[in-house]
Order: sequence, then C-alpha cells, then structure tokens
Amino acid sequence: MGAIGPLTLAMTLAPAIAVALILLVPRARAAEAINLLASVISLLSIVCIVILAPNAKSLFWGGYVVVDGLGAWTILCAAIVYFLASVYAIGYMRLLGETDRLPNFYAMFAGFGLTTLVGPLMNNAGLYWIAIELTTLVSTFLVAFEREAESIEAAWKYIIVVSAGISLALLGTILFYWSGTFVLGPTYDMTWDALRQAGPQLNPALVTLSFLLVLIGFGTKVGLAPMHTWLPDAHSEGPAPVSALLSGALLNTAMVGIVRYLAVADAAGITVLARGTLLALGGFSLFVAALFIVRQTGIKRLMAYSSVEHMGVIALGFGFGGPFGIAGALYHMLNHSLNKSAMFFGAGSMMRAYGTKRIRSIRAVLLHYPVVGGFWLAGAVAITGAPPFALFLSELTIIRAGLARSEHFLVGLIAILLIVIFVGFLNHFRGMYFEDGHSEGKTMPPISAWCAAPMCLAIAPLFIMGLWWPQALWDHFLEIAGSLAPTGTPP
Amino acid sequence: MTPRDIILQVCQVLATLLLAPLLQGVILQFEERVQRSQGPGVFQPYRDLWKLFHKQIVAPDTASWLYWTAPIVAFTTTLTVPILIPVLTNYPLPLSDMGDILGGGLILTLGSFMITLAGLDTRSAYGGIGSSRAVMVTILAEPTLILVFVGITLLAKAMLPFVVNHLLVAEPSIYWGPTHLFLVAAFFVLLLAETDRLPIHSSTHIEIYMIDEARILEYSGPMLAILKWASMMKQFILYTIFCNVLLFPWGLSYKGTALGVVGATAALLLKFLAVACVVVVVETVQSRLRFYRYQEPLAASFLLAILAIVSTQLT
Amino acid sequence: MLAAHLAPLPASLFSLLAIGSLLLSFVMLGSRWLRHYLFAFAAQSWLIAILSAAVGYYGNYSELYIVAILTAAFRGLLLPYLIFRIIHRLEVNREVHVILQASSSLVIGAFAVIFALAVSYRIGADLGLAGTIVVLALTVMLSMKLIGFLMLSVRHEAISHILGLLVLENGVFLGAQILVPGMPLLIEIVILFDLLIVVACFGVLVRYLLTHVGTTSSLQLNRLVG
Repeated sequence: MGAIGPLTLAMTLAPAIAVALILLVPRARAAEAINLLASVISLLSIVCIVILAPNAKSLFWGGYVVVDGLGAWTILCAAIVYFLASVYAIGYMRLLGETDRLPNFYAMFAGFGLTTLVGPLMNNAGLYWIAIELTTLVSTFLVAFEREAESIEAAWKYIIVVSAGISLALLGTILFYWSGTFVLGPTYDMTWDALRQAGPQLNPALVTLSFLLVLIGFGTKVGLAPMHTWLPDAHSEGPAPVSALLSGALLNTAMVGIVRYLAVADAAGITVLARGTLLALGGFSLFVAALFIVRQTGIKRLMAYSSVEHMGVIALGFGFGGPFGIAGALYHMLNHSLNKSAMFFGAGSMMRAYGTKRIRSIRAVLLHYPVVGGFWLAGAVAITGAPPFALFLSELTIIRAGLARSEHFLVGLIAILLIVIFVGFLNHFRGMYFEDGHSEGKTMPPISAWCAAPMCLAIAPLFIMGLWWPQALWDHFLEIAGSLAPTGTPP
Repeated sequence: MTPRDIILQVCQVLATLLLAPLLQGVILQFEERVQRSQGPGVFQPYRDLWKLFHKQIVAPDTASWLYWTAPIVAFTTTLTVPILIPVLTNYPLPLSDMGDILGGGLILTLGSFMITLAGLDTRSAYGGIGSSRAVMVTILAEPTLILVFVGITLLAKAMLPFVVNHLLVAEPSIYWGPTHLFLVAAFFVLLLAETDRLPIHSSTHIEIYMIDEARILEYSGPMLAILKWASMMKQFILYTIFCNVLLFPWGLSYKGTALGVVGATAALLLKFLAVACVVVVVETVQSRLRFYRYQEPLAASFLLAILAIVSTQLT
Repeated sequence: MLAAHLAPLPASLFSLLAIGSLLLSFVMLGSRWLRHYLFAFAAQSWLIAILSAAVGYYGNYSELYIVAILTAAFRGLLLPYLIFRIIHRLEVNREVHVILQASSSLVIGAFAVIFALAVSYRIGADLGLAGTIVVLALTVMLSMKLIGFLMLSVRHEAISHILGLLVLENGVFLGAQILVPGMPLLIEIVILFDLLIVVACFGVLVRYLLTHVGTTSSLQLNRLVG
C-alpha cells in the first residue's frame, strides 16, 4: 500500500515534467519522444496502482488527493487513451507538415493529458470543479490547432457552451456546500465522503436543486443531450489524436463527478428523482445520437455522435445502479475508450489519405488499405455493440441492470435505439467499404506504422475481452459498486 | 365632516384648477432657458387660456355629440381626482374615500379615453394618427401603471394614498428600502409617458410628429381652452401623486389650519420645482428617438415595477 | 449561519448591494453599446467586492477582506481593462443586428426574476429561513444566472458572450459571499484566478476569430451544421 503514493506522484509528474521539457527544448522529434515517454510512464503507474490495490482508498496531501477504485479505473481508461493517442500523434502530426508548431502541440497535448489524469484524483468537490474547468481551457487550443475557420468556430462553440455549463456546475457545488453547512458547520472540507456521511441530514429540496444543477453542468461536459451541441463540432474539428483524447478520456472524467454526486444524492434520499433524471438524459442522448447518426455526412462527426450515444449508455448504466449497472458502466468506459480511439485513428488516417471529410467521398477502403481497413471495419462492428466484441457484453450488462429494476419500457426503447444506431452506423461503413469508388488505379498514400499500430493495439483487447470477461475485473467492479451503493439498501 | 373640511376640499380642487397652468409655464420656461433662449415667461399659459376663451368656435361639419362632450368629460374628470388624493392635507377629507388609487387612475384614464375618441370622431387624418399613437403608448403604460399600484398596495397593505403617505413618513427604513425606490423609478418613467415627455415626443409642433396633441387639432376657442386646461390639470395631478404620495410625503398640513394650508401650497410648489427640474434635464439631455423605441423606457418601467413587487416578497 | 441571524442594518446593506448588482445586470441586458456593458460589469464587480468586505466585517471572517481586495482588483479593474482592450482592437461598438429587442429581453428578464423568486421562496420555506436575507441572496443568485444565460442566447457578439459568462460567475460569487462566507479561502482564490485565465483564453480566441474567420459575430459562425 505504501507504493501507491509514489506511483500516483509518478503518474502526475510525468506529463507535467514533459510539458516543461518540451517548452525548454522546442524541437519536434524531441517533443514527440518526451510526450510518448510520459504517456508510457503514466500508463505503467496506473496499471500498477490498479493491480496492487484495486479498491483501497488512499488519501494523500492532507486529504486533497484520493485514489479509490472508481477514480483509479477512470484514470486507467484515460491513461490508455493518452498512450495510444501519443503513439498515433507521432505519425499523424507529421502529415500536417507544420514542424515548427509541433512542440507547442505536444506541450499542450501533454498538458491536456495531465488534466484528464488529475480530475478523478481530487477529493475536494471544489478542486474537482477547478480541474474540469482547466481541461476545457487547455483543450480549446488543441481543437483550434489547425487554425481553419471551422476549427476556430468549433473551438469558440466549445468554450462558450462548456464554460456556461460548468458555471451551472459551480452553482450546484456552492449549493451543495451550503446544504452541508447546516450539518457540518460554516467551514468544512467538502470531500465526497463528508457529503455522503452528512447525506441523510441534508435538506431534500436543496439537494434536489443542487444535484440537478450539477447534473446539467457536468452533463454538458460529458456530452449528454440536449447539452451536447458542442461535442460534434469540437470532436470533429480537432486533429485526430486530440479527438481521441477528448472522446476517450475527458468525457469519462466528467462522468466521475456525476457519479460521486449521485452517491451523495442517494444518501440524501432523493434517489428516485436523481436517478430518473440521469436515466432521462441518457435515453435522450441515445435518441438524439440515433437521429443524427442515420443522416450523417462527415466521418468524424459520425464518430462524435457515437460518443454521445455511448456516454448516454454509460449514464444509463450508472443511473440504473446496482452491481449490474455499475459494473456494466465501468466496463463500458474502458471498452468505449479503446474503441473510440481506434475509430478516430482510422477516421483520421482515412481523412488524410482520401483528402476529404465526407463519407460519400471515401470509397473502396479495403481495396486500398486492407490491414488498417480491416481493423477499422472491426472497430465499427464493435462500436455499434455487436458480438464478439466487448461492447456487446457491457451493453448487455447494462440492459440486465435495467431489467432487474423492472424498467421494461425504457429497456425496450434503449434496445430499439441501439438497433437503429447499429443499422445507421454500419450503413455508412457499407458505403465506404463495399461501394465502387472508381479509384482502382489511383495510388493512395501509405498509412505509417505509427498510425496503424495503435488501432491494432486497441481492437485486439476488445476482441479478447468480448470473448472472455475476466473474473478479476468482474470482482473489481462489484467492489466498486459496493462502495457506491447507498448504505443499508441491498444492491 | 366639519365645514372647515369641506372648505379644504374645495380649496384642493381650486388649487389644482388655478395652479396647473403655473406648473406648465414653469416647465416650458425651464426648457427654453436650458436651450439658452428667452422663454415666454411662467405666466404664459394663463394668457393663452384667456386668449382662447375670447375666440370663436369653429367646428367641423362631421363633428358629432362626442366632439362636444369629450372636452367636458375630460375637464370634469380632472376636477374630480384632486378630491381623492392628498394635495394640501395629509388626512382624508370628506368624499375622499370615493375612490382609492386604482379608482383615481380609472377616472384619469376615462378622460384620456374620451379625448382619444374625439380625435377619431371628426374623421381627420391627423386626429387618427394622434389617437393611434397615443393608444400605442397607453397599451404599454397602463399595465405598468397597474403593476405600480399593485406594488404600492403590497408595500402599504392598503390602496388609499393617505395610508401610503403616513407609512412613508413614519418609517424611514421603508422609505429607503428597495421597494419604494423601485416604485419611485417606475412611476417617474410613467410620469414622463403620461405628460408627453418621453424621448420620443417631439418638441416642435409639426403635425406629423405629434402624438397626443394631434388628437385636439380640430378644436378651437373655449373648447380648446378647456382641453388644454384639462391636460395641464392632469399633469398637476400626476405630479401631486408622485410627490405627495411617493417621493416627498412631508410638507402637508396636519391639522388643516389656514397657515398650514398656505404652507402646504408653498411646499407643493417647491416640490414641483424640484421634480420639474429633473424632468427638464432628463428630457433635454436625451436626444429624440424613433417612435418605435418607445418600448424601451416602458419596458424598463415594467421591469422596475416587477422588481418592486419581488422586493415586497423578499423583506 | 451568518445570514440567518443578521441585525437589520447589515441586512439592509447586503440587500441593497445585492439588488444593486441585479439592477446592473439588467442594465447590461438592456443596452446595445458594448462600452455600457463593460462599465455595468465593472460596477457590479465593485459592488460584490464591497459586499465581500461587509460580510467579512459583520461575520468576523478576516480572510474575506483579502477576497474583497482581490475581487476589486481582478474582477473590477483587470478584467474590464482586458476586455476594453479587446473591444478597442475589434473596433466593434455595438450589437448591430439584434436578435431580440432590448425591451423584450428586459421583460423576459423580469419573468426570470419572478421564477427565481418562486424557487428561492420554496427552498427558503423548506429550510425554515423564509423572511431572512437568504431568500434574497438565492433569488439574486438564480436570477443573475438566468439573465446571464439570456444574454448568452440573445446576443451574437463575441464580447457579449464573454460578458454573459462573467455575469454568470458574478452571480455565483455574490450568492457564495452571503450564503457560504466560510468557504475555504483556497477555493475562492483559485476560482478568481481561474476566471482570469478564462478571459485570457477568450482574448486569444477572439484574435483567432478575427484573423481566420473575419468576424466576431456568431451569426456568421454557421459552417458546422448537422
């Protein structure tokens, strides 16, 4: 247990030192290498933390930093995406041809990675809010990196919508603090545990208002509909590694806040309303995503709406609660991170190769890129929730959670929407792979190994985990579910 | 109901009747002075009324009974309202419970309504323009006025102007509280709207720019004099309500002695001087706006009235 | 809790400052000239700084004096100066195309205040604090939030969006001073600095908007649809 402290320190210091080093040594190759090294160190640290002490809660720095099961798992997903995206970025950013701006990119990239790793570590709700706000500020400039009119527009919408939403979350945090002052006195440390323990004595009306504000505020950051309007633009206009990090790492980090506040809401006795609202938002996200996926024209926007869908599924999982719900949602976090990164990597490579963002103009992928295309197709089948990939298992678990709570109507709706998304999404891929593009004679630029390898590294575990859900993982999830369950109620 | 109270009531009406042109004269003189011209003198409205009463009546052929009765109704309403409000004394005089604040507002609006109809009666183009524009402003101003009355009622828990006056004199904390300040601000904007001093009202007398004056273009001689006098009295009454009920509730006669009444009249003139200065400054500093921007000051007034009502719930 | 047991004099002072801030946000809502927004925002920040100092004085929270000075310096002077420089560089003076008339937005703002009052009254009654300044603080906080969102929706200039966001933050800060004056100093200072960083980012982004998109009006930002 004593190793967790140094490991956490290593995990957070590595990207921080990387930022400093890259700014000191502004050379593109060096920046790539430093960033990659930092991501490897972070990934190894968090893997060690998860293996060593899966569910023990450790507090550091006078109680400001907490490493518990839920946080560690989220950081693991984020670190995996950070590593994969760093590898991919080396190949992708070289295609942009802006070597003199690359050190800035990698410095911001490492900084962005740092902020996503730091969020779930915050024990104090106020500091957590500040961490989320910082992620917005750093990622805005990454989204605007390409300095096109569309990128700037996307970055502007991103920062305005998300900052407005986050200020709602700030209001909710202040109101939560205020409700705690009736129980804990005017000055206290607003840790998640303190709020949960004070839960039964908090005023229900005030907690309802605060929770709704926090849900909508952090829900904007997560990308739940109808607050998702920034997501397609920001995720489609940034460079592909940035999109992967946004989709795979950042959305999960914001979700952790909602889950922790949900535990406080459970303790305060407003379970029905809180979970009901979360379920409603999740279901609506699925609905909106289904509508927009069917009629989508841009390849990266398609992936972005798929992110909205999967965040909706995760929200449904956490909303259903209980061992199935939480286990399914946590497993889904990992699977979605892996899968979405692979999809964005493929989309980025195809965009560069074909020179266009429109789905209609990308044709005969298998002909030109058999290996990368094959992995991309496998990823597409996976991300729509088909077996034998892991997303099928996690979605099935979440549906089981819904049935366990007798929410038959909602589960039926979810199933129908997932089928609609399956059909719509794969229809686009059918067009890209099996329709004739009249381009047999054209020579397409090769996709470098730096870009292809992360896709294989991401899809392979999905395939393995789809066939075999490790018992160790299942037990780990059940322990996390137990720690999140309202005390005294059987899960 | 002593004879002295009846005399005081008659004095209130006479004060309104006789001092209204003086107020109008003072305002016009200030405006001219601010614009660095000589000005006609503060007693000019008296001379104008005298001149009009000695002129011939020229009536259009298309005039109906409405043409002849509208000025009389308007004049009568403006004579009735001073009975209801504290002009000289701060205690209710005989027959002042005929109507409360809302009743007073109703009677004033009745007069204005009759003049608007009279503007339409003669089928002249300018009368129609004047009536329609006047009604456009009234549509937004009247609900706000009602909201101001609601705010006053919530503040004082009664609708009688005398109760409000006593409350504001007795409790400085309510006088300086947010509700009262918001009500004063809202009523000030409405005062400007009702006395034709919004930034949309033109200071030149060209027919196409007129809003309220276009309604009375067809009148002449004594009828015109009565109409002008009625509008001057309406201005006087609104200023009285603003000063004696809301802004400066002090300076009224407590016991009704002759000396007290004279002092109250002098105080009234001083208060009006202060308010007239502010009105003139506001009007001359702001340049004329397009007519359709009349919504803006009235929306601000509506907002202030809502805020006043909200403040009554918060304290 | 401080706000529940206030003597009448500090209670009127706090309510005067809070209502003054609310009135200033209406001034921001109803004006079309960007310079007027900015002055109203600066005045609002100063009022909130004075409120901080007053709460510190009456509640014996000496750290609130530091917060008050920092608020006056950063929110009252530095932020308006930064935004003034942005306005100056943009050479935009007012909202030329109006999505919603100033008068209509004032009326909608009034309804927002009524809604905020209803919610705060309910919560105040539930907590047993109805009739104290708590209900006023909650009302002003929630209505400034709603007015901030209204400003974000009906204005299309980039500067108006920035100022709308700052009004949102001001509202939360105002409520926090009255309701939770004992919040740890660390959080308050970090939030203040965070605001500074946000405005700096906005400044850079607005420069990018001008160079690459050619305009700062969001009516022209319509390339990304679907």
